[in-house]
Amino acid sequence: MASEKKIFSRRKFLIRGAIVLGGTVVGIYLGKRPIRRFLAQQIEGIEPPAMLSHFQPNFWFEIQPDNTILFKSPKIEMGQGIFTGFAMLAAEELEVSPEQIKVVHADTTSGPMDKVATGGSNSTPSMFVPIRQVAATMREMLCQAAAAQWGVPRSEVKAENGTLQAGARQATYAEIAAATQEWTIPKTPALKPVSEFKYVGKDFKRNDLEAKVFGDPIYGIDATMPGMLYACIIQSPFYRAPLKSAKTSEAASWPGVERIILEKDWIAVVAQTRYAAEAAMLMVEAEWDVGKKYEQEDLIRMVTVGQGKGVNVQEVGSPRRILQVPGGRIFRQEYRTPMAAHAQIEPNGTVAYVEKDKATIIMSTQSPGFVRAQLAASLGMKAKNINLIPAFPGGAFGRRMKTHNAVAAALVSRAMGKPIHAFYTREQEFMYSPCRPNTHHVLQAKIDDNGQIQALHYDLATPDMAIEDNVGSAGIFLAGADIISAGHGAPVIYNIPHKSTDVWHCPYPLDTGIWRSVGMFSNAFAVESFINELARETSQDPIALRIALLKSPEKLHQRYVAVLEKLREVSRWDMPAGEGIGRGVAFGDDRKSIAAAVVEVSLRSSRVKVNKVTMVLDPGLCINPEGIRQQAEGCIMMGISAALYEELKVKGGRIYNTSFQAYPMATLADVPEIEIVLLPGDEVPYGVGEPPLAPIAPAIASAVYDLTGKPQRSLPIRLA
Amino acid sequence: MPIQFILNGRSVSIEADPAMPLLWVLRDILGLKATKYGCGRAQCGACSLHVDGQTQRSCSLPVQLVAGKNVVTLEGLCANRSQPHPVQQAWMEENVPQCGYCQPGFMMAAAAFLEQFPNPTDEDIQQHITNVCRCGTHPRILRAIKRAAALRKNV
Repeated sequence: MASEKKIFSRRKFLIRGAIVLGGTVVGIYLGKRPIRRFLAQQIEGIEPPAMLSHFQPNFWFEIQPDNTILFKSPKIEMGQGIFTGFAMLAAEELEVSPEQIKVVHADTTSGPMDKVATGGSNSTPSMFVPIRQVAATMREMLCQAAAAQWGVPRSEVKAENGTLQAGARQATYAEIAAATQEWTIPKTPALKPVSEFKYVGKDFKRNDLEAKVFGDPIYGIDATMPGMLYACIIQSPFYRAPLKSAKTSEAASWPGVERIILEKDWIAVVAQTRYAAEAAMLMVEAEWDVGKKYEQEDLIRMVTVGQGKGVNVQEVGSPRRILQVPGGRIFRQEYRTPMAAHAQIEPNGTVAYVEKDKATIIMSTQSPGFVRAQLAASLGMKAKNINLIPAFPGGAFGRRMKTHNAVAAALVSRAMGKPIHAFYTREQEFMYSPCRPNTHHVLQAKIDDNGQIQALHYDLATPDMAIEDNVGSAGIFLAGADIISAGHGAPVIYNIPHKSTDVWHCPYPLDTGIWRSVGMFSNAFAVESFINELARETSQDPIALRIALLKSPEKLHQRYVAVLEKLREVSRWDMPAGEGIGRGVAFGDDRKSIAAAVVEVSLRSSRVKVNKVTMVLDPGLCINPEGIRQQAEGCIMMGISAALYEELKVKGGRIYNTSFQAYPMATLADVPEIEIVLLPGDEVPYGVGEPPLAPIAPAIASAVYDLTGKPQRSLPIRLA
Repeated sequence: MPIQFILNGRSVSIEADPAMPLLWVLRDILGLKATKYGCGRAQCGACSLHVDGQTQRSCSLPVQLVAGKNVVTLEGLCANRSQPHPVQQAWMEENVPQCGYCQPGFMMAAAAFLEQFPNPTDEDIQQHITNVCRCGTHPRILRAIKRAAALRKNV
């Protein structure tokens, strides 16, 4: 396409992308304390930046000869259903049916590139406007091209059902595209208002359904390249411990082994088959230069309120003074969440082919831009010469934010002069886990003589989950704590006259990472459990107490109350629970996506069984209700799993439960009756991949407390 | 010595270490990628397929043990996409997959299970299908297996 004018909304995008940076600059003048509070609140209220590399429609769309339209998504479809929602959004402005749009991942050299990552439940909110803008611009380009070809005024050309019409003349988009030599990018037309949407709000099945039901080779591990060799890459099971020595002679003589490569902190066993590489890998005896070998108790002790550095992220009124002055009574509780693994079923790995001056990388990743930058630095190659082709990840949940073995695979490929297929074993997947770290929470409230909650102070102790990876050590210095993870749920949303939150940033000797819902999982467990306990302590109904603490004329608060009132109704909260049934409730707001749940539990052979989950979810505008229900169900199951079963354990400095048997998760036997009610409360969409997870664990804990009379303040819940 | 077996209705003959797991033979030698690696320990079921009609976890099954036997993978579960197996049909009607990676194993396990339990209860399914899914598609898998049972009767 010649003569492109890059006027397409570029300025607007850049302004949106600079929100966080702008805040940082302001903060330097204001001093650190206000900036920290500002940043923590930004995480809650931020309009997600869409940091995209190209805004020209021809980078996003390709019209195929059969009049289908290829849409190159800069965001990754890792199961959350965004490709279906994206097709629906694009269809609204392109005047085609969603089925006519085939969504694929953009590779980094020929499509729009995402400079952030796919995660944080941000894909739909951040792409809601840009997708429609590029689609509308594309439609306008086609209309203008048709007008030029037919010699009619633009105003006479209409786009409908993938065809262009002017009077008696008609042509498909493909026909017009094929006959157009030169394109100009027009000003972005005005977008359709929500009221005119044809597809948004209707149920659509996934557009990757057929590929996934017939077993198409769409995952990273399925990728092949001609002449490909297989490598198993051994890394240290001890975080950041370099290689001291390795005995490799036995492995090297295993049939099919081509070479063994030793590096500072990894060993590659390269062979003709994966089977040979894995078998030979087991014969390598590696010794790592390990410092102190930490035990489980060390990690719990290290992550305790008062350890590390405390940073204030919320301060309303004078909670510290109110908590100290006489009068009323203090209610205080502590909560803990354990280390957990992502445990997605497709292990991490890379297919890499590094040639003299270019590289091709196929990978299941959440952050193609970050991986490509790391590869460029390690290979000493310009980023533009590295084509990173994202595959469909077989699960992600935050596990694919990092580069994992991409750099090692690329270096092995360069050394061997051949493409390399390198994937972790399940044991490695657990052993090298950038885990969800354990957390500790202390909450204190002042209850006055009338049973009113006057003040609340929340202390959260957590290792870094996200900030170092995302903004580097300067970010930690400035923010003082991991406000990316802490920001999800650490500032207390309840209208308590005096409230404050301190985040204790604890040093930690293991690799950590973002886990579905980021900090929301642990913050919601602690804060919502505490609210439930406060309700007991003051003899109030937990839903009524929440409504009382959330009522305000503010729009967001009205949505909160609407969700809780709907939940009270659909869960039949005001009817007594059945015999042998315990009931609990919890609430969560993760960046304006609001989810509340009532959970019913019983005991089955002295184990907790979740019988029923009733959820009311207000994710703002619902693009694809069917996709939203899928995500809510997924969050419910993952919440049950994390609440009842999951805990990574450390022994002798390394993670030692490294199999699905040793790290049990929810199965078909854990499926409860599920009722999900969607209550769209806004004209823009918010995320749904993570927010529905927030209320599950605290609601289960509260239901178990209700049933057994024993408080549940640490996870996983254990009755004995 | 080449190892021979029937794969999705066709005779195949491969040269491989007899101890090589069937999973890697299928994926890396024969190029059939629907059967997935999940754990390598027969714990998660992502690699489930049928050997003489029974569900087997192929990551831990040496290829020599299927010599002369009839192996069916997801690629061979139906003759073509316009005539999906009732399990695949049910999976589409219930819109089951999310990431989709564990689904081939679940579908293969479900297809063999329904031969034995044509009218399954939830308890039957929960007891016999122990595959692992991380996205949380379990509620839909339960529904889809019961739907597939109904579809089978109408075929």
